[in-house]
Amino acid sequence: MSKLIMFYARECPHCKAMMPHVEKLENEENISFEKLEVWHNEKNADLMRSYRRAIAPKCGGQLRTPTFFNPETSDVLCGEVPYEKLKEWALKQK
Amino acid sequence: MKKFWRCFICSDIHYGVKPPEVCPTCLAKNAYVEVSSREAVKIMGAGGTTLTREEFRRAILAFAEKNEFEVNPDKAKVEMLLDGLFANEQNHGLKYCPCRLASGDLAEDLKLVCPCHFLIHETYKNKKDGECWCGLFVRRKK
Ligand code: SF4
Repeated sequence: MSKLIMFYARECPHCKAMMPHVEKLENEENISFEKLEVWHNEKNADLMRSYRRAIAPKCGGQLRTPTFFNPETSDVLCGEVPYEKLKEWALKQK
Repeated sequence: MKKFWRCFICSDIHYGVKPPEVCPTCLAKNAYVEVSSREAVKIMGAGGTTLTREEFRRAILAFAEKNEFEVNPDKAKVEMLLDGLFANEQNHGLKYCPCRLASGDLAEDLKLVCPCHFLIHETYKNKKDGECWCGLFVRRKK
């Protein structure tokens, strides 16, 4: 299973809305996300910026939160999406 | 290219491609002379104004009042976003959008300062229930 990252921001409502989906998915499937906060942690912010070329084209040209990212394949899912869509994306990464 | 201009009478500062013909503060005509950004920052710094959370809240309410959108009636969401905006100002110098990460290129990142130009964003434009990316502003229900 590849390492998956969830870039999020502490005060981002879309990230807050996605957290229960992420936790549900982690509990139900053998999946875990490394959750990296980007507005209060410069190291995490720099890491997200370092993936800009992979992330931005798929996220309206920007670094959006939340962004789900597979660093091995550069596959990206961003924004607030239904649980099923997140699950489908995450299972595809296995 | 945008430049800084200073009113020779009241030291109003304007940042733009050309100066206003009439100074909006002292109403003098043809009063603006170009200054460097260093001078402009010094003059603006002399004002020493601050903007508290309550003042910012009033500012965005007044901004929305004259427009087709309103501040989201969801109070908890607004408070969370204000937490983020003020934390970003504290830590990064400007009230950057809590739902986007700044790139490090200031000219580009000015597009992420709240309120951003959300009228053109996919989450707002031509949408009946349009909102800014984060949902701080929502299209006013008729
Ligand atoms: S999306 Fe909303 S909260 Fe974010 S900067 Fe724009 S107006 Fe502010």
